[in-house]
Amino acid sequence: MAEDQAQEQNASEPFILFELAGTTYGVPSRAVQQVELVEHITPVPNAPPAVEGVIFSRGQVIPAINLRVRFGFERALHDLRTRLVVVNAGSRVIGLIVDSAREFILIPPGAIQPPNETLAGLKGKYLEGIATLGERMILILSLEEVIDPAGVMATAPEGA
Amino acid sequence: MSIAEQGSDNSFFSEFIDDYFAESEEHLTILRRGLLALESFVNKPQIERALLDEIFRSFHSLKGISGMVGVREAEQLAHEMESYLRALRHDQATLSEEGMEGLMAGTKMLEQVISAKREQKPPPDIASVIAQIESTIPNDAHAAPRPSSPGGEASAAEAPRASDEAPAAREEGSDSRIWRFEFIPSTELSARGINVNTVRARLQELGELRNGAPRVMPGGGIAFEFIVASQADEPTLAALREGGLTCEPYEEPPAIPDAKEADRKEAGDLRPEAASVAPAIAPSNVVRVSLGRLDELMRMVGELVISRARLEGTLKNAEREMPATRWRALQETNLMIERQLRDLREGVMRVRMVPVAEIFERMRFVVRDLAREYRKKVNLDLSGQETEIDKLLIERMMDPLLHLVRNAISHGLETPSEREAIGKRAEGTISLRAFTAAERVVIEVEDDGRGIDFAKVADRAREMGLIADKAKLDTEALLDLICSPGFSTRDEADRASGRGVGMAVVKNTVLGLGGEFTLDSEVGRGTRFTIQLPITLAIADALIVSTGGQKFAVPQSSVREVMEIDPSSVTALEEYELIQYRGGALPIVRLARLFDIEEKYERVFHAFVIGSGLNVAGIAVDRIIGHQEIVVRAINDPLIQVAGISGATELGDGQVVLILDAAALIKLPAPGTGLRSTVSG
Repeated sequence: MAEDQAQEQNASEPFILFELAGTTYGVPSRAVQQVELVEHITPVPNAPPAVEGVIFSRGQVIPAINLRVRFGFERALHDLRTRLVVVNAGSRVIGLIVDSAREFILIPPGAIQPPNETLAGLKGKYLEGIATLGERMILILSLEEVIDPAGVMATAPEGA
Repeated sequence: MSIAEQGSDNSFFSEFIDDYFAESEEHLTILRRGLLALESFVNKPQIERALLDEIFRSFHSLKGISGMVGVREAEQLAHEMESYLRALRHDQATLSEEGMEGLMAGTKMLEQVISAKREQKPPPDIASVIAQIESTIPNDAHAAPRPSSPGGEASAAEAPRASDEAPAAREEGSDSRIWRFEFIPSTELSARGINVNTVRARLQELGELRNGAPRVMPGGGIAFEFIVASQADEPTLAALREGGLTCEPYEEPPAIPDAKEADRKEAGDLRPEAASVAPAIAPSNVVRVSLGRLDELMRMVGELVISRARLEGTLKNAEREMPATRWRALQETNLMIERQLRDLREGVMRVRMVPVAEIFERMRFVVRDLAREYRKKVNLDLSGQETEIDKLLIERMMDPLLHLVRNAISHGLETPSEREAIGKRAEGTISLRAFTAAERVVIEVEDDGRGIDFAKVADRAREMGLIADKAKLDTEALLDLICSPGFSTRDEADRASGRGVGMAVVKNTVLGLGGEFTLDSEVGRGTRFTIQLPITLAIADALIVSTGGQKFAVPQSSVREVMEIDPSSVTALEEYELIQYRGGALPIVRLARLFDIEEKYERVFHAFVIGSGLNVAGIAVDRIIGHQEIVVRAINDPLIQVAGISGATELGDGQVVLILDAAALIKLPAPGTGLRSTVSG
């Protein structure tokens, strides 16, 4: 029994969790370069609405995507809890602005279910699965979809 | 684990092959020059010995190094041409017209083979060129074995630098044995200073290096195998094993001693002459460094520049909180660091600089060929070959310059009879000039041919619907036209001139490198294309401006003038605004409106003037903050590549400041006409 548990523990993958509009999302921690406080973001004229601007990350100029706008929520003012999650996906490095990011957990593969039909039908192709851990529900993101240029550019500004 | 190992091997191999490209480029340069000189000896009984030897040696080395990295086509071509030259050296043949053509064609093919290898494309078909050269070699001169024939590996025996490094052919003494060495490069060995070049050198000391070739191991790694004939004793071999080599006695395949001997003697023969002929190709006090490493160095210098800017900022704030004398001492040190940094930066940049001669010389070859093809007489006039320019820039400029020279010959120059009919010399002149002006390098390509007929171009443009019916053409508009893809004033699609696609590429390349491209032409007198390039790319002087509270940087090189504007002096004309400027009207474009941000100027605002000719505009901003040296960083992600922004920089506070693309700003649609659609659409 103890052995089984240990094995399950081994197969578990670490995730970084963050909050956005009251929902918890997870991204595999191997894709996360770092989590930073949001400091100055330089706006880029005529960039897609979901792109809040650019920042330097390790000497590289990278876009910062406001995930609230990307997912169609209302834009929120940045506060002390706001975080920039710098992810590395599909050979691009992108910053994601989220409401807060504080947790790091291991999720056993068995706890992740594919999104059900109704959810998959939504424009949210960017959901890779849903993890249920006890009472909590965590939406696992498909980063490639979230940062896909065509998808980001098609995101309408709030209220439009 | 295995991935990491494989990775290091691959990078090792790629370094090795980069060396090959660099070395073969040097030989090709010698060959191009040498062959042009050789041409004057066609059908002459005597050929200048030194010249012949130099060319022979380059082919010989090219054969060797090509075999070493497994570029068989290059090895074969070099081998054929070497054979022809051997026949010339041994007076078994005289240099014929056909022979000369064969060498020219063969060398061009050699270039193509190597560049195909570099671009990882399939090699071109060399069969017909090989046959062409072969037909010129007298039968009794076919002594040396083909590199591709079984056992013929012997031809690669005098590995790369055989001609100047290998000991003169040794008599194979009775106690000499043949050994097979294998060397597997690793990061650990390379940290100890052991790599394939040092191994090769050691083995050459040991005896006669008969063969050396890379071999791909199961699993993807690379091993190098060397066959050496040596009288080395066991302790010597043991020392070599320490150095990462495996060693075993080697069973020689049935040899073809005569041919091998002949080949080796050739190499041996050359030694005494080597010193007297031409300067050495790569003297030992020259170091080859990859551009990547220099970029890394440049990046570090860039970071230093930013750190110093930060120091200066802190110092400024500290002035009030410090005793004046201490502050001044600090400030002095700060200024000293600034000066030293500037020197360091210049030093690093200088390392990256190469003379333009590198590409100018190549043009001689091209011109000779094209002159023949188009039946024109051309005198190529080069000047300023010593002008230095960043290595990266020169590599990028190769194709555009080639295209301009081709154009000049195919379109620009008249045929000799046409020229004589209008009282010009039969021989046309194409001038390639390079010089430095301020922070820029200027390259001019000029011909004294027929010039561009503005009216004819305008007619054609109208026909194609590219310009309005009554539009007048200035030189700038003309250049835009001939640079638009698909535009050509010739009806037949002409091979070398490439249907106008080429000009678009020329223009885009120049603009992409932060340069300018202009044209002067007069009917009957000729055409001059002028390319202005920044001397180097990574660091630039910039004007820092702000609008709506956001800072932007503008490369100093694109700013003509800075001015203060009183809003009352602005005249509105439909969606444009104009001010008086040097007796004319200057359109003012407000950056804030272009970029959809809020203006915040007080009383007066400022503008910087960009563009040239009729395409001048003032870009209005709230404030001009000052000049600063900036480190240019690329914007690579598609999400943030927008029109009007060419890059980003940092001014010492960690914030990104966007760099404006002056040329693109001028072309952006007028305010209020929906810029967004051009960006995302």
